[in-house]
Amino acid sequence: MTSLRPILASAWMGIQHDIAWTTPALSVSLRAVAPFASAMTVSIIYWFGTTNGAGLFVPAGLAFVLIGSTLYAHVASYAWVPTVAIAEGKNLSVFPHIYITSRSTAFYTAGRLLSAFVISAITSLAALAVAYYVLGSFFGTQIPIVVNPWSALLLAAALVVNIPGALGLGYLLGAYSLYASKFEWSLPGYVAGLLMVFSGALFPTTILPWPISVAAYYLPFTQFITAARGALLPSSSTGYASAMGLCLAGGVCLLALGLFVYFAAEKKARKDGVIDRRLA
Amino acid sequence: MKDDRMPSVEANELRREFKAKGAPVVALDGVSLRVGQGEVFGVLGPNGAGKTTMIRILSTLLLPTGGWAKVMGFDVEHEPEKVRRVINMASGAEKAGYDFISAKRNLWFFSQLYGIPNDKAERKISELSELLGLTKYLDRKFYALSTGYRQRATIARAFINDPKVVFLDEPTIGLDVMTARSIREFLLGEARRNGRTIIVASHNMAEVDAICDRVAIVDRGKILAEGTPEELKRSLGAPALVLEVSPPQAAFEMLAKVPGVKGFTSSTEEERGLTTVEAVVEDDAAARGAEEAIRKEGFKIVASWRKQATLEEVFVALVGQGFKEREGEDVA
Amino acid sequence: MVARALVRLWSIFGEPLWVVVNMGFPVLSSLAMAILYFSIGAISYVGFAVLGGVMISFWGNVLWSMASQFNWDKQEGLFEIYLTSPASITAILVGMSVGGIIATVPSAIIVVAIGWAIFHPVVSASWGGVAVTFGLTLASLYAMGMALSSLYLAYGRQAESLNEVLQEPVSMLSGLYFPSLGSASPFPLALQAVASLIPLTIGMDALRKTLFYDNNIGQVAPDLVVLAVMAVVLLYLSKFALKWLEHMGRRDGTIAVRIR
Repeated sequence: MTSLRPILASAWMGIQHDIAWTTPALSVSLRAVAPFASAMTVSIIYWFGTTNGAGLFVPAGLAFVLIGSTLYAHVASYAWVPTVAIAEGKNLSVFPHIYITSRSTAFYTAGRLLSAFVISAITSLAALAVAYYVLGSFFGTQIPIVVNPWSALLLAAALVVNIPGALGLGYLLGAYSLYASKFEWSLPGYVAGLLMVFSGALFPTTILPWPISVAAYYLPFTQFITAARGALLPSSSTGYASAMGLCLAGGVCLLALGLFVYFAAEKKARKDGVIDRRLA
Repeated sequence: MKDDRMPSVEANELRREFKAKGAPVVALDGVSLRVGQGEVFGVLGPNGAGKTTMIRILSTLLLPTGGWAKVMGFDVEHEPEKVRRVINMASGAEKAGYDFISAKRNLWFFSQLYGIPNDKAERKISELSELLGLTKYLDRKFYALSTGYRQRATIARAFINDPKVVFLDEPTIGLDVMTARSIREFLLGEARRNGRTIIVASHNMAEVDAICDRVAIVDRGKILAEGTPEELKRSLGAPALVLEVSPPQAAFEMLAKVPGVKGFTSSTEEERGLTTVEAVVEDDAAARGAEEAIRKEGFKIVASWRKQATLEEVFVALVGQGFKEREGEDVA
Repeated sequence: MVARALVRLWSIFGEPLWVVVNMGFPVLSSLAMAILYFSIGAISYVGFAVLGGVMISFWGNVLWSMASQFNWDKQEGLFEIYLTSPASITAILVGMSVGGIIATVPSAIIVVAIGWAIFHPVVSASWGGVAVTFGLTLASLYAMGMALSSLYLAYGRQAESLNEVLQEPVSMLSGLYFPSLGSASPFPLALQAVASLIPLTIGMDALRKTLFYDNNIGQVAPDLVVLAVMAVVLLYLSKFALKWLEHMGRRDGTIAVRIR
């Protein structure tokens, strides 16, 4: 039996849930508002801090922060979708019925994550584009982001290479949601916050104290953002290949860990009889 | 019913405990059963008897803590993936579905989780909707369906993958008489025409009596009796005694001391000023003894008659109490 | 009112882990912004990031536990019970606000404690002014939450999408982490005027003045007057909007419709 059908059907369900509540164009546009505002906030902090503090405002620095803030939001918004899918499934009483199907829940959560990836990629890149023009206008400066077919291809490759890592994180969060019946709705806040601090999104990981800086540097999400900067910033292009390699390697390891934890949680949930437990 | 084929469901000393503050709760206490292919098998008992726990274990949602069970020859604990290919389940209490899409799309989605090609899924949805009277409502969003049609859609989902064994937990709970009858007719049709095994867990005796080939009566995690509905009712011997007693009275402990009275249950109608007592008796002498005991306590017997035994009376005979009294005891 | 406040407090303090759960995003986002200020040599503005973390706790509470609460209550079948009881809906909302504020205080304290321990932000505060400004800011913010709750009642499961649309833009426009009003603001005047319609914008500006620039009550009096007026207007607006929506719901039969 093909495994593709459950994944594609689950992706379709994710699209129904995320954007079909109104016209697709409107719902996608509305979803772009949050990453746009988040990118603007961080970029304005950079501008305000450098023009009023001891630092120096540098357009490349603004670009660094702008790219990081839109892409951390991209990862944060789709990595927690498995948690949502499981929690929603339990609320609607459909989750046990998905569990007892042949391919069970791992394929379902993967499908939901993949649809969220597509939507999030579109909205984050749209947010990046709009923020680029708005900030350039606000600060009267040319932000040195390079957009051409080659940089677009490199960025697309980075987005795809990050999927295993995001899927791994999604399964880790999903493992909690599978077993627990409370607090899972608060996990996305933690994920977004941790990514903001530890993924090099807003500042280099070298700012953090050792050994936290080392651990943060090797996170696949940190390398993803580094690779994205390598694709879009002329000054950072030399680090692209190594960042992609580290992102993929780290992502595969995280995916393996995520799957291990997820299946262990599933087994324990079945043992303790909480698969079909409603949420608290 | 002798059937030499592999049983569709088999369990041996199945046990399930749940951790609780203090002593663990024993939901299933050494249940053994064997269900043939194409049977409609009822699991009847009051709330808290262990019916849902049994269904959850057999449908691979829950692991047993002791014993074993197999579905179509596959072990539910060690081969759940193989079990899931041949089963499905539905629960009447839940009406599970995605509110924001139509009933048809809900069914299609679940068909895809079983890997069913689109054209086959469409045919199956059409066929099941026709049989369940759901066709006119297929394109309505799930939340917009009435309770009865949501339940029909839920039942349809339970058959979407052509399962060999279907587990249904209270499939007609909360439904009107006509809808409940439609669903029962559908279930019987699936068992007879398509040879599906249907396991129905219910505390609705009339439903179980109407559609089940065989019934297991469960209480406090154990199977107390098993057989066809007729066999179980005949096991009581004499027909039950029904008395209308005035003034109303909550308890009739005096009946417990009458020789030959196996058990009794009662219900009071305040408007009529009467309590109706149903006593399961061994013979006519026990029936007369029961009437005398009530009169001796100063009650008036307004009417009395004998009636064909029901499955609840079988339960009463086995446990000494009705479902209502048993559930009240468990709550207390 | 008291009963509804107590329900909120029981749910939070009956499960102390909720405090840990609720503080996650405020602490981490505050930390991230503070480290950003630090990394670009703007150490004197680290306090802005800590203050922003405190207020984002309350703003998040307003959006997720106030504005969209009635929509979730509707899904659970509780809203129709509120409507058919003799209790005033406004009183219930005020109770939710009071309970929400008290329940959020522990998260806010933790943000301050962690920010202080790591960064030692410099403050030059007029504490009386800080207290009054903080109180009025919360009053107007929660009054806005009450007004939003009526809007959310009309939207069903789209409420979650509304939260996403509102949360970040309001955080940005209101200047949670940087001044969004005045000469230091990056926004053009027209945008500053729009931002001024949000109670949080006025409140953040006044809080920064009293906490970091030693402005006393008299110096921020215009801001305080605006906040007080906003609180009253929004309270009245919420009452009117809820009544209107109740009427529409009863007319169209949507009060008890639950779309999960």
